[in-house]
Amino acid sequence: MNRPLSTVAMIVVLALIAPLVLEWPHDEIDWNAVRAVPLTGSHWLGTDNVGRDLLARTLIGTRVTLSVAIAAAFVALVIGVAWGAIAGWVGGKVDEAMMRIVDALFALPFMFVVILLMVVFGRSILLVFLGIGAVEWLVMARVVRGQVIQLKQRPFIIAAEAAGAPPLAIITGHILPNVAGVAIAYLLLTVPQVVMVESFLSFLGLGVQEPLTSLGILVKEGADDMDIAPVGLLVPGGILVTLLVCLTLAGEKLRDRYSG
Amino acid sequence: MIALILRRLSTAIPTLFAVILLSFVLMRTAPGGPFDGERPLDPATREALTTAYGLDLPLWDQFVRYLSRLAHGDFGPSLVYRDFTVTDLIAKGLPISLTLGALALVLALAVGISAGLLAATRAGLWSDRVVGIGATLLTALPSFVTAPLLVLTFGLVLGWLPVSGWNDGAAPNLVLPVIALALPVAGAIAKLTRAGLAGVMAQDHIRTARARGLKPATVLFRHALRPALVPVASYVGPAAAGLLTGAVIIETIFALPGLGRYFVQGALNRDYPLVLGVVTLYAALIILFNLLADLAYGWLDPRARG
Repeated sequence: MNRPLSTVAMIVVLALIAPLVLEWPHDEIDWNAVRAVPLTGSHWLGTDNVGRDLLARTLIGTRVTLSVAIAAAFVALVIGVAWGAIAGWVGGKVDEAMMRIVDALFALPFMFVVILLMVVFGRSILLVFLGIGAVEWLVMARVVRGQVIQLKQRPFIIAAEAAGAPPLAIITGHILPNVAGVAIAYLLLTVPQVVMVESFLSFLGLGVQEPLTSLGILVKEGADDMDIAPVGLLVPGGILVTLLVCLTLAGEKLRDRYSG
Repeated sequence: MIALILRRLSTAIPTLFAVILLSFVLMRTAPGGPFDGERPLDPATREALTTAYGLDLPLWDQFVRYLSRLAHGDFGPSLVYRDFTVTDLIAKGLPISLTLGALALVLALAVGISAGLLAATRAGLWSDRVVGIGATLLTALPSFVTAPLLVLTFGLVLGWLPVSGWNDGAAPNLVLPVIALALPVAGAIAKLTRAGLAGVMAQDHIRTARARGLKPATVLFRHALRPALVPVASYVGPAAAGLLTGAVIIETIFALPGLGRYFVQGALNRDYPLVLGVVTLYAALIILFNLLADLAYGWLDPRARG
């Protein structure tokens, strides 16, 4: 746990490479080995209740969960940085109105808003991450705005303004590079948040849909069958928890470095 | 105090209205409807149903009607649980969810504050580090992983507690759901208490109290604890939101007939009035808890009143 990011990297590499060398794909049924126990033939972790290889499913599920998380975190990054930078740079009434909206959204029961979005627009994977990204940008917007307001008073920004640089050039050339560190720290903290939301939705059957799978779905299936095959709960659950803990630790470390 | 409440209400009511409007519009613009089943309905039956539920009226008209019924405590009929109104379902489910949530909040506060106290008074020692690591783990562990693990250990392997079911709220049936619900909140409260106490213990009035020769326990409980709990109080609002969302998962796992389960069933079956009613109620509850958190904040820290 001293190097949380290398643990995450290991899981990512495994999830990317291992399915290529496995004998069974994640969605193929082995009729000779339904509900097989671990180490049956070429099924290292056994199979699920319809005979699909559990190891392959876990690895693909990890892939899907992480892809959704990274995509959603980027959506949150883009919205959050743009919102925060504009509010902080323009200031005054605009800033007040924009931050008032953020405050109001903070008070919303956001998990229910995401579920509402899933219900309304159907349960496609694209909407899973767009929906999650659209509600996870609030913290990012607040942090970036704070940074921008501090930066605005620094001499080099004032100098750039005095030299007649257009506002857009100042924002992209001077402000954003200086906000990048903090933004990356919060991006890292957003990823586990999104992993949590995605797994939550998938666990309830409202997120990623078959034949794709995700860690949330696997934990759900594992929990349903845990009295006969606890490995189906323990392995995906273990990977999910490791990812969440390591990403949170890495993000907190980075955030503490930038906030002094 | 009254001014504070009024000021909070002046932002709370528009927020609540916005939630209702947003969820109403979203639900009604959704593709697919409640009468789309496996077997296509006879057109005449379909039309009769649509008229009976007022789904043929313009959207704004439906919304005004919905609001006015809402003001009378009528959340409309459930489209899936045909024999019940949404108000019936809420009346059945809410007490169960509130019981769970209240017990979990009390447990989380008791465990979290004690752990935070323990860690702060032993700063740097191993018990402090254990609490620190434990709290981080607890906040990172999702309840849909911890709950099945608890069931596996105490329900299936050891056989001490029932695996699921409500059983009219019998105590053994409540133990596992309440613990699973409380754990992440307890972790967050432990962290906040520890950080709050560490900050307060370094202040002048604590040094003065110590210099006057007061017992360490008196300094801790009479002088340090109250200001240290300010961050905990402001966390009560988010904690309540967390408990409500957590309850959705916990009620599904433990097969408890609470509000969260009706919400999930409603969402899976496109039961518009049910989902709309539950979201409205959840929003109102979360806003209420944020208000309570503000009041508690003012009580703990007199400087914040005004």
